[in-house]
Amino acid sequence: MMEPGNVQRSTPNVQRSNAEGASSLDVGRWTLDVERSSERAAIFIRDVSLTFPGKRLGDEIAVLDHVSARVAKGEFVCLVGPSGCGKSTLLNIVGGFLTASSGEVLVEGQPVHGPDPRRIFVFQENGVFPWLNVRDNVGFGLRGKSKEEREKTIAHYIAMVGLTGFEDAYPRELSGGMRQRVEIARALAANPDIIYMDEPFGALDFITRLKMRADLVRIWQAEKKTILFVTHDIEEAVQLADRVLIMSKRPATIQQVVEIDLARPRDLDSPRYLEKRDEIFRIMGMSLRVGETLSV
Amino acid sequence: MPRPALRTAHATTLLSFALPVGVGVMFLLGWHAAVRISGSDLFPTPVEVGRGLLELARQGLLLKYVVASLFRVSWGFALAVAVGVPAGLLLGWYSRGFQAFNPMIQIFRPISPIAWIPVAILWFGVTDAAPIFLIFLASVFPITVSSIAAVQNMQPVYLRAAQNFGLSRGELFRQVILRASLPQIITGIRIALGVAWLVVVAAEMIAVNSGLGYLIIDARNAGKRYDLVVAGMVMIGVIGLVLDLLVRQLEKFDEVRWGYARR
Amino acid sequence: MSFRKTLLITAFVVLGGITLLHGALNLGWFAPRATTASGAARDKFRVGFLPVTCHLTCPVTDFINKQTTGGSNFDPVRFHGWPELKEAYLSGYTPVTFILAPMAIALREQGVPIKIVYLGHREGGDVMVHKDSGIYRTEDLRGKTVAVPGRYANHRLIFYRELKKAGMKLSDVNLVEMPPPDMPAALYSRSVDAITSGEPFPGQTEMDGYGRALYRVKEVWPGFISCVLAVHEDVIKNRRAEVQALVDGIAKSGKWLDANMTNRVDAAQFVSKFYYNQHPRLLEFVLSKPPDRVIYSNLKPLRANFEEIEQLAKEAGILQGTAHFDDYVDTSFAPEDDAVQPHPYATAQR
Repeated sequence: MMEPGNVQRSTPNVQRSNAEGASSLDVGRWTLDVERSSERAAIFIRDVSLTFPGKRLGDEIAVLDHVSARVAKGEFVCLVGPSGCGKSTLLNIVGGFLTASSGEVLVEGQPVHGPDPRRIFVFQENGVFPWLNVRDNVGFGLRGKSKEEREKTIAHYIAMVGLTGFEDAYPRELSGGMRQRVEIARALAANPDIIYMDEPFGALDFITRLKMRADLVRIWQAEKKTILFVTHDIEEAVQLADRVLIMSKRPATIQQVVEIDLARPRDLDSPRYLEKRDEIFRIMGMSLRVGETLSV
Repeated sequence: MPRPALRTAHATTLLSFALPVGVGVMFLLGWHAAVRISGSDLFPTPVEVGRGLLELARQGLLLKYVVASLFRVSWGFALAVAVGVPAGLLLGWYSRGFQAFNPMIQIFRPISPIAWIPVAILWFGVTDAAPIFLIFLASVFPITVSSIAAVQNMQPVYLRAAQNFGLSRGELFRQVILRASLPQIITGIRIALGVAWLVVVAAEMIAVNSGLGYLIIDARNAGKRYDLVVAGMVMIGVIGLVLDLLVRQLEKFDEVRWGYARR
Repeated sequence: MSFRKTLLITAFVVLGGITLLHGALNLGWFAPRATTASGAARDKFRVGFLPVTCHLTCPVTDFINKQTTGGSNFDPVRFHGWPELKEAYLSGYTPVTFILAPMAIALREQGVPIKIVYLGHREGGDVMVHKDSGIYRTEDLRGKTVAVPGRYANHRLIFYRELKKAGMKLSDVNLVEMPPPDMPAALYSRSVDAITSGEPFPGQTEMDGYGRALYRVKEVWPGFISCVLAVHEDVIKNRRAEVQALVDGIAKSGKWLDANMTNRVDAAQFVSKFYYNQHPRLLEFVLSKPPDRVIYSNLKPLRANFEEIEQLAKEAGILQGTAHFDDYVDTSFAPEDDAVQPHPYATAQR
């Protein structure tokens, strides 16, 4: 496994290795565990940089600076970082909605060329279609399927997210949490290999957020999908993830990776939980005491 | 949604009916008084207008004229929707097309249908096609422009969700772009229907021999029949109100209701 | 029901329903058709006219034709204003039309294949002022607002001629162009000081008691011409016999109108009712008080009349003077006045 704390900025001149992500990879000074990399990675981000043109001609704003990371199949990985650091941008590149300036992203061993129905995105601003009711929203990714199969799948996932009885309701009639459940059900119903989630619970109130997290973990355990989850909420990351990738300020890179080896369901009062949480806070240069700032 | 208590709901409905009726009655009284006080011999009182309307109804002309005007507006407007909505969706989606056609649309848009009357007569003669053409022209630009804006203002998240599910171009247009822009398109259509109906008088100045616009022009020819002129105005206004109420019903469907702010 | 379904069904029902209703009520789709009318109807030419006394022979001829032979050899099409009437002629929709003489000449100057074949009337029309105004002579109009029907209206020309006689110029008055149907209300509200146009609109102000004639055109220009019957040259070339029949019918109608007062009163009734949709009292008034306010005899186009119009119009700046009598008149259809006999027709209600 990786040693937290000794990961540094990867150097730009990374050697290219073959696209299949073979037995051993040199990514900067990381040496990835041979056993883990031998199974094909679900997501493999190598040396990705992104710059935007600035306001004046010739100006360039660097958003991502040689980011490298790796998500294994079936893994739940959270991506955290200070707000505006580019974590959503990175997720959009992985999802195929943005193209990196340099570097490459391999998903299931294939370079990403655009959005793909095998990997479904759950959006921060809720992408549930307001003109469709819950049933039709959940069935949106099932266009090719037979009627019985569709209905069975829809009913199954509506039940899984706890919306049975609301099949005919329209999104405007639902609460924010319920709408987010519809979007998760829609993503699951399409039976993707990977689900990308971009701060999906950001707009919800505290209690709803806690409940949604518990439900998401339950669903993930049942479905065994790979999830790459962006959040700015450190507690959320520690509650959900197998591993947490911590990004630095802009131009962002992966600052450190923290393994959360806590059994589920997680006890939010256990010393191990608090220890992990505090470790991430520390890495991100934040104090746990209100009114005090640590120097980084 | 929370519902107000039954009695309050009742009172609200009653009030929402009584208020506009009250204003209407006040208007009629004011009108009557103004004619009486000014001693005008030409301008009719509401009573005279009512009598004129009755006379028209008894002759069967009122129904004929209303039908003729509605016929022209229905077809001109239906054609405008059939052309304007698809054109707006395409131009809203393809920015090159928008760049190419938008200046032309903006040039044609402010031209009053009255200016088109000579063209309409030269192209279509004095048939029903001429007023239909004028009504089409008056309504197709507002519809196209609002459809373009609807697509351009569409929330990008719907588009990205749709792209994520791997929709073909046709599916994307029918299932997402059209559906996402529909509320705004319907608002545009409502405004355009008002414009279409507004233009009916001008459109029927062409020598068609029926319609509410014709009624007004014919009444001017008829000497001192200003009661019929105002009767035509009243009918146009009342039917315009009914048409607007009907189109508003479209906004109540679940498929578009999300697009209107709840009050 | 879904949105889409509702929309489609509503659109279908509305369009279908309104089309059927319009067809039934206004287009006569379901009326039993006279067998003679259906075949010949397409072939008849349409004749444009306005609801003014200058064009009275048009509906009168149509009516008498229908009463005597059960059908008419043309379709009268009523317009509301000169521009629409002119445009319908230019589009070929009405290849025959009643039109202002200077407008026909102007069209000829602009290369339109138009020929005047007959006159619509002689005289008729007045300059009216409000009865309470202090205007008693042309000179009193200095600085006043005067409504005229349009650039090519003969009533504008005759007004110009009167100004000239009084030693005034057009710029001494404030001329506004106005559709004649709007003139009575404008005079009543005194938003203009004087109006001039063809009948019945000046007559209306007189009948309703607020208008006073400054002069009648017949007093200052006996034999005054305003509207003429004009025909497209292609129709003259290809359909001579039909044009001749039309001109003969119109000539007879003119004589019939001038034959006696009973005919005029009858004409006022049926034209008001079936063609102009005006109050019969109004037409009766302008056709009878005085009885020679408008006359419908002696309608062959004469060179001298037109040369005078040409000359005046050129001075007034509305014609170039590039077209002359032989360019825009075809006298070959017009019968000599003494050869014209009135229609042997009397209305049934007598």
